[in-house]
Amino acid sequence: MEALLANIQGLSSNAGDLSNLHIILKQAHDSLYAESIRLLPLLDQLDPSIHSLGYLYILESCSSGAFSKEQATTMVLPIARFINSCDKEQIRLAPDKFLSVCRRFKDHLMLLEAPLRGVAPMLTAIRKIQSSSEHLTSLHPEFLVLCLLSKCYKAGLSILDEDIFEVDQPKDLFLYCYYGGMICIGQKRFRKALELLHNVVTAPMSVINAIAVEAYKKYILVSLIHNGQFSTSLPKYTASVAQRNLKNFCQPYIELANSYSTGKIAEFETIAQKHREKFDNDNNLGLVKQAISSMYKRNIQRLTQTYLTLSLQDIANSVQLNSAKEAEMHVLQMIQDGEIFASINQKDGMVSFLEDPEQYKTCQMIDHIDSSIQRIMALSRKLTAMNENISCDPLFLGKVGRERQRFDFDDFDPVPQKFNI
Amino acid sequence: MDFSPLSEALASKSYEKIADICDEIMLQVAAEGVSFQDDWPYAIHLLGHIYAGDINSMRFLWKSMPAAVKESQQEVQAAWKIGQKLWVRDYGGVYEAICGFDWSLEAQGLVAAFSDLYTKKMFQLLQSAYSTISIQDTALFLGMNEDDATSYVQQQGWIVDPASQMITVKKQPIITEQKLNPSKLQSLTEYVFHLEH
Repeated sequence: MEALLANIQGLSSNAGDLSNLHIILKQAHDSLYAESIRLLPLLDQLDPSIHSLGYLYILESCSSGAFSKEQATTMVLPIARFINSCDKEQIRLAPDKFLSVCRRFKDHLMLLEAPLRGVAPMLTAIRKIQSSSEHLTSLHPEFLVLCLLSKCYKAGLSILDEDIFEVDQPKDLFLYCYYGGMICIGQKRFRKALELLHNVVTAPMSVINAIAVEAYKKYILVSLIHNGQFSTSLPKYTASVAQRNLKNFCQPYIELANSYSTGKIAEFETIAQKHREKFDNDNNLGLVKQAISSMYKRNIQRLTQTYLTLSLQDIANSVQLNSAKEAEMHVLQMIQDGEIFASINQKDGMVSFLEDPEQYKTCQMIDHIDSSIQRIMALSRKLTAMNENISCDPLFLGKVGRERQRFDFDDFDPVPQKFNI
Repeated sequence: MDFSPLSEALASKSYEKIADICDEIMLQVAAEGVSFQDDWPYAIHLLGHIYAGDINSMRFLWKSMPAAVKESQQEVQAAWKIGQKLWVRDYGGVYEAICGFDWSLEAQGLVAAFSDLYTKKMFQLLQSAYSTISIQDTALFLGMNEDDATSYVQQQGWIVDPASQMITVKKQPIITEQKLNPSKLQSLTEYVFHLEH
């Protein structure tokens, strides 16, 4: 071990030395694993920021194997400090080791029931290991879980705003979008939540998985809350197993969605009550309740399509609220949230519904449109590049080539056969 | 724990930054394994979220607090009460919660600033949502007594009718920048170029 330590200390300064060190470390892998937690004192002789690669190997073998609570306690702090100070270039030489250390770190924190301690280090870890902000690592879902468990939803939002184009493992994407959806629901960013959950439901899959089923349940409810409607038809590109099976797993939710469209609150509440236990077990009762209160809003919004002015009492009657004052508060809240445009006249007890005052000609709006166009342009460039990449891929060409041959054979069969009567 | 960024922000009255600063410090000390819960400035942290209008984060912070803190610290409870009133949109109740507690020296400035901000927001809300409104409700929304509320809105050009106890709301024309700068032409050219290729 002393020799190894000397090597780590001696060979951590430049790229050539590092690749030699990497070979030595790989060879020492088994003996390191055999030592496991007994190696912990060795770490004191290394500097995590200079000897990152060696430190990483030793740390990884230290944290392998089963753990007691006490051992987890001693490991958590060195890992957190290592993540903070390690050198980006060095750990990228052994990304698998780094990911494994980070995952164990999360497991330790779960054991200690201290998810908050992992939020900041895990974010740092993501930033250090990802090749660009478009790269989804398997640490993304781990980070979001820590955020959810420690109730730091706001911290989770920071990575959800980035557009993802590169994924290592399909499971990462499923979990990232599912947990991300939950964070956005917690922060009431329903539009983004809907987008993330939609990604889970429509992602390619060969067999149905539990993540997609749970995501679909939430997707139904969020879509009721945000859009006021739900359509069971999924886009064409959805995996066929998802198209065929998801609905069967979520019958109570589909039933709920169907009754939402009738606009009858009592009916909706009856169904919510009927399946209450099921919703509660799925941890979706809160969303169901939000869907109920969104129904009042939806019904008021529907009135704006028919009437120009309406008395508060009439609103209360048609939306089934108890009093004109309650109706006024509902309308006020909706104006506050920008969900309708209206003006309340307390003197006459009337509400006038107005048009959206946005005329799409302010500088702010133009900037907004501009940035949207820019994003779409970047996306289209990306698609073109991807398309070109695929059309140069030998595997793809091989497959297409074979198919084309068959195609040629069928269509351009020697002509005389057909005409030689 | 190093609270100097927080005290600086409080001293310079940059209240909008407080929530972010607190979040950041909390994550850092937690990562170091410090057990900070017992002397964490929860009240200021809650108020910071409230000031920033981030009621969701405020609620999650409350949920993550140890039960002992929730029960023992009165100022934390008082801050939570404001948040609760905001959550259920009990517009008048917010002012009651603000006035109903004798805030500590550190929190005083923050609470007062929030109160002002909230009054301004409520004024904007009334302006956009009402064409006429009773004096009584105006006072409730602005957290003032009826005389103060009438003079406050009269300054903004609203018309008070003492006979019917009603106020006619005067909408402010919204002035927005509509002028374009020439650089837009450049980006338009780029769009057309993109479409054609």
